[in-house]
Amino acid sequence: MTGAALSWRQFKAILRKDIVMELRTKEMLTSMGLYTLLTMVIYQVALSQTGSAFNVRLIAAGLLWLAFVFTSMLGLNRSLVHEKDQGVLDALLLSPIDRPIIFFAKAVGNFVFLMVVEIISLPVFWFLFLSGGGPASVPIFTTLWQLLFALVLGSIGIAGVGTLLATMSVNTTGKDFVLALLFIPLMYPLLLPAVSSSSAAILGGMGATQQFWQGIGIMAGYDVLMLLAAYALYEFIIGA
Amino acid sequence: MTKNRLTMWFLGLGGLITTVTFFMAFFYAPPSLFRDGRIDFAQKIFYFHVPVAEASFLVFFFTAFYGVRFLMTRRKEFDTKARVATEVTLVFVVLTLITGDLWTKFEWGAWWVWEPRLITYFIMTLLVIAYFVLRSSVEDEERRAVYAAVFGILAFIDAPISFAITRLVPSGFHPVVLKSGGLEPPMLLTFIIGQIGMLMLGYAIFRLRMGEEVTRERLETLKAALED
Repeated sequence: MTGAALSWRQFKAILRKDIVMELRTKEMLTSMGLYTLLTMVIYQVALSQTGSAFNVRLIAAGLLWLAFVFTSMLGLNRSLVHEKDQGVLDALLLSPIDRPIIFFAKAVGNFVFLMVVEIISLPVFWFLFLSGGGPASVPIFTTLWQLLFALVLGSIGIAGVGTLLATMSVNTTGKDFVLALLFIPLMYPLLLPAVSSSSAAILGGMGATQQFWQGIGIMAGYDVLMLLAAYALYEFIIGA
Repeated sequence: MTKNRLTMWFLGLGGLITTVTFFMAFFYAPPSLFRDGRIDFAQKIFYFHVPVAEASFLVFFFTAFYGVRFLMTRRKEFDTKARVATEVTLVFVVLTLITGDLWTKFEWGAWWVWEPRLITYFIMTLLVIAYFVLRSSVEDEERRAVYAAVFGILAFIDAPISFAITRLVPSGFHPVVLKSGGLEPPMLLTFIIGQIGMLMLGYAIFRLRMGEEVTRERLETLKAALED
């Protein structure tokens, strides 16, 4: 068997293990989904004094990403705490698998779970906060595909950098607190264009298309750069 | 020994030069004027603020540099150097934030404005703090060094990206002084001298802290040898 085919099989095996385990326990999706729902309750409290004149649409993109960032930290932490507690990480290290393959398999697993949670919570968010209508200057179809595009690029960055950081933070005494502290400042350059392009997708108006594509471009650049760095550095982390 | 003497020279000269810059800023560099002819005294902080900011970025580079060196060689001295460089970065970054903030309050009337450079330094401060929290949160020494090196490298990549990205979002707050060519020669001279002094100080602080660390490590080794 050629090296590439073997790598692909190893990648699939690790990814399948994560997905099968999740389908049996449904632990990560439930906790992440419910956490997002709870965040929306907090949003209601935060917005309770704004009155009817306030247009939630203006900050909708920011609210969405806020919920996703926090829920992703919960998921990232979970996905590696299990591995460590049950000794899977050690077993993976003992097996003759290239380290980058472990990284990509774990990162793709995290990406899939994050996307599932995002796609489920998007209509919930719309139902709870935006269903009252308002100035619909953008066709719903445009908004949807643009939002999805932004979500995919944002989640790639979150899952890629997050998997690396979570592999570090599970081995610290601070665990999830350390993850948050490392994660949020590193995520800042991704979140800003993510909110900018999602906002353009939701609000529309003058220059929205340009704003959207500019944000998408920056996110793509960040993803490529940070994934390359994470890919190069993962071997050191997992071997330490 | 010669290296120690060099450090002391740098410390002395750096201190002297930065003090001279302070006086030059007030007595040599001409005052910067507002459009309506009033004197802009707050601009004087520029001779301190910008050198500190640039020095902080340069020192932060060494965090990443020694991080790479450590991962390549696994020698403990590079880890110590990276940590000390990050300590110096913390000092400079905090000084940048404070001096920048004084200016912000005077010029824009608010203690804090979410503006590209302020955000970048805010993020940098958080990254540096996270670096130290990460270190203190890992018990195994070898692992701590590897994690710190990796995070140092990621943080150094992240900082300029934040800077570039915040600039892409249009905001017309922070004056881009060097770009507009608004510096008269005496102003530029004062600024350059201040920059040199600040870099010397940065280097001296780094060397002094390193000397301290080396002595401390030697003491630990001696203690361990004594117990055996």
